[in-house]
Amino acid sequence: MPPSAFAQLDAARQELSAQAAGGTAGRIALEHFSDRVDGLVRQLFESAPHPSSDVAIFALGGYGRRHLCLHSDIDVLVLFGGPIGLAGEQFLRTLLHPLWDVGLDVSHQVREREDLAQLDASNPTFLLALADARPLVGSPALFEEVAAFLDATEPRAFVVASLEQLIDERHAAFNDTPYQLEPDVKDAPGGLRDLTALRSLARATDAALLTRLPADRATLDEAEDFLLRIRSILHLEARRNQNVLSHEMQEKVAERLGYPGTSARQQVERVMSDYFRHARSVSRALKFTRRMAPTPVGRNLVRTRDGIRFVDAAAARSQPESWLPLFQAAIDRGVPVTDGALGLIHAEVNRYDAGEFYPAPADRAAVLAFLTPRPGLYARLSEMHDCGLLGRMFPEFAAISCRVVRDFYHKYTVDEHTLLTIRNLERLGAPSRPGRERFAAQLADLRAPELLVLSLLLHDVGKWRDEEHAVESVRMARQVLERLQLPAADRELVEFLISNHLRMSVAAFRRDIDDPEVVRQFAELVGVEERLKMLCLMTLVDVEAVSLDILTPWREELLWRLYVDTYNQLTLGYGDELIDNAQGGLATLLAQAPPHLSESDIRQFVEGLPRRYLRLFTPDAVYRHVQLARDIQPDHVHAVLEQKGAAWEVTVVTLDKPFLVSNICGVLSSFGMDILRGQAMTNPNGLVLDHFEFADEERFLELNPDGRASVLRALEAVVSGELDVAARLRAREQSLVHRRSGIPHFAPVIHCDNHSSRRYTILEIIEKNQVGLLHRISRVISHQGCNVDLVLIGTEGEKGILVFHITAGGAKLTDAGQAALTAELTRALEGNDEIDQGHRATE
Amino acid sequence: MKLIKAIVRPNKVDEVKDALGKLSISGMTVTEVRGHGKQKGHTAVYRGKEYNVSLLPKMAVETVVSDGIVEEVIRAIIQAARTGEIGDGRVFVIPVEEAYRIRTGEKDPI
Repeated sequence: MPPSAFAQLDAARQELSAQAAGGTAGRIALEHFSDRVDGLVRQLFESAPHPSSDVAIFALGGYGRRHLCLHSDIDVLVLFGGPIGLAGEQFLRTLLHPLWDVGLDVSHQVREREDLAQLDASNPTFLLALADARPLVGSPALFEEVAAFLDATEPRAFVVASLEQLIDERHAAFNDTPYQLEPDVKDAPGGLRDLTALRSLARATDAALLTRLPADRATLDEAEDFLLRIRSILHLEARRNQNVLSHEMQEKVAERLGYPGTSARQQVERVMSDYFRHARSVSRALKFTRRMAPTPVGRNLVRTRDGIRFVDAAAARSQPESWLPLFQAAIDRGVPVTDGALGLIHAEVNRYDAGEFYPAPADRAAVLAFLTPRPGLYARLSEMHDCGLLGRMFPEFAAISCRVVRDFYHKYTVDEHTLLTIRNLERLGAPSRPGRERFAAQLADLRAPELLVLSLLLHDVGKWRDEEHAVESVRMARQVLERLQLPAADRELVEFLISNHLRMSVAAFRRDIDDPEVVRQFAELVGVEERLKMLCLMTLVDVEAVSLDILTPWREELLWRLYVDTYNQLTLGYGDELIDNAQGGLATLLAQAPPHLSESDIRQFVEGLPRRYLRLFTPDAVYRHVQLARDIQPDHVHAVLEQKGAAWEVTVVTLDKPFLVSNICGVLSSFGMDILRGQAMTNPNGLVLDHFEFADEERFLELNPDGRASVLRALEAVVSGELDVAARLRAREQSLVHRRSGIPHFAPVIHCDNHSSRRYTILEIIEKNQVGLLHRISRVISHQGCNVDLVLIGTEGEKGILVFHITAGGAKLTDAGQAALTAELTRALEGNDEIDQGHRATE
Repeated sequence: MKLIKAIVRPNKVDEVKDALGKLSISGMTVTEVRGHGKQKGHTAVYRGKEYNVSLLPKMAVETVVSDGIVEEVIRAIIQAARTGEIGDGRVFVIPVEEAYRIRTGEKDPI
């Protein structure tokens, strides 16, 4: 350190000591002293050899607040933008050693930027000190990062919770009373820490609280200055960081503060009287703040006793994209939005156009997430509608506001009917009457229930006109879908649901559902189970929202029976309906094919696959599959592994061989992948297409840069017979880590059916979803000499739902064959390892 | 005077109502009912589990007509509700001894 810096610090100390001795070392003097220490730190920073990464110094705690007394700790945070390394250590030495050499009590925290990525809940004291962080010198980018970190909701909520706990603990040590005969001016109730605490609480929740305190600002400022002047005297007299105003010190303090009196005792009584007056003000202000402080629940959002509201109303007025999070927070916490916040939106909402409520991709994703059916959605949507927000976000919805359509059965206005459909759907989460559990299970099984809610929200918007409303609703819905920039497949799904929202009630209630042709045509309309489930739920809640008594249990039964028959048609009978030359979708596929794919490439791949294939995959996906199938040779595996949202998808094309499905599933399970949904299909040329969606629960693919390549290599090795996946999988199945607990075990359902398909025996299995389940089942099927042509995989909560289309020797299974297969499957699913081992030995 | 009680397929109610309307019969009671006849329901399978659908959803249409048009009414109902498949339903004819109008207390002429 340069000698001049020494001298400057010494001069600063002398000056502060003199002020303390004169009883004037209050807030202004301490701030001045802090500024001079700042100068010293900055000087050292500039002269230190800089590390390779960014670095910044922050003042923390009392130093951060510029309340440095003579012997206060100098709390600093040294934050590095990257790994510290040797250069960083050298930098720290050059910075800190001189500070220690001049006798400053430096408490330093050293962190890397990465440390801020996750909240360290084990160190609340540090986080509280960080809440007072004051940038001193260094990288502006790091200054901003710390500010952004502290501004985030989670740290603020954590600061509040930690602060509450620490206040309680600290006060308990003083028997919860400020009236101490020998008070600690820093830690006792009513002391300096309480002042800091109430300000921190207000800053983390609602700064406006400081304007509503029982004591005015001047009173608290006066209290603070008084306490700081005393503390300065205590440090001066004790020559250390001493904060207890003992009897002995009380006399010295009274004298230095110049209290009048004929005796020391009289002086002390007067100074202590002032102390208690100030401590009482501080104490009351803290109690008020603790009582009134709302809980931070989001950016500019807090929870109060009346519900969720904005903290800064002025900021909220100019940020319409922040309004939906208000309602989202209310749903998350099961409370309403406050009348004040609703009034603010009502007053401002007409200033903004639809797009301004969800300008960024994250805002649009938030709109969809908001529409997830759960308790409170109807209530919040109703509030949004009442204050005009829903109609501004979706002007199409505004068109049916209070719209009356006169008929014999609708009992409510079109907008309320629409919102009631959503309420009915959210209520399915907790079914209120017998028979509803089956529909609740459908809802739980949906991949994107928010798209169903979006469809419900828009299904009747076309009723603003008197003509055919479904067509008009679709036209208007397209505008919404365009603004929300939904992916093409999602748009198509929503349009399908809106366009056909009356079709299932017509089929169920006005057609003969015992007529197989009615079921076949309806299955043709919906195409795949996901759409069927969504349309069924849409019909249920739509009919129920017409009037109180229209959806009788009798009608529910009709609806359910149509659903079951159609579901069976889709999952059990689809193997009989193959893509052929006359298939309409094929002509379109050929016409739009990219130039690098020939007509024969496409025909060779898709002809003979179930028609369902063209309903499941977009043309682009089909072209990718055709590309994968090119030049495939025995033992070749052409596969693609892609992330899709939170899940992953693997598409495998190879040539059929025994144990193929079992091996592919085994490889995925051996990497800890949980198969959620999937299809396996075989065309007449023996080409197999497997498409599985799975969850990477152990984050293998995320954590290993070459994870994808590892999985694909293992697939090739297993399919070609170079690697036996069974051993690796067995270890995983037996591992304690992967045994699921707490799930009530139920007897597996194994059902063979020779009636639903002309070509196949259908094997349906419902079993607890677990690692390696599909592998074990398909292994048994292959072991029984059966050929698997088609597989459907679904999950519903903890249940795995598997449908296999199988043959033995090119024909359906005989009764004896079914019995043998069922018996072996039962043993395998009941976990009889000996039998399982025996099977391996025979392979 | 006879009470005609027809158990029909749910999707046939509108056609039965239209057929009765053509015979100038406008008063009727329609009820959602469940039951089975000789077919005794059937077994359905959902996700591998068999369950018995013993009571099938049907509609009951009831109307009281004068003796002179009973046969015509029965014919009309059968024609409207018939598909030829099992489960088309039944028509019952029940004698009615007396009938009163609740509003006025008058006895209807038989």
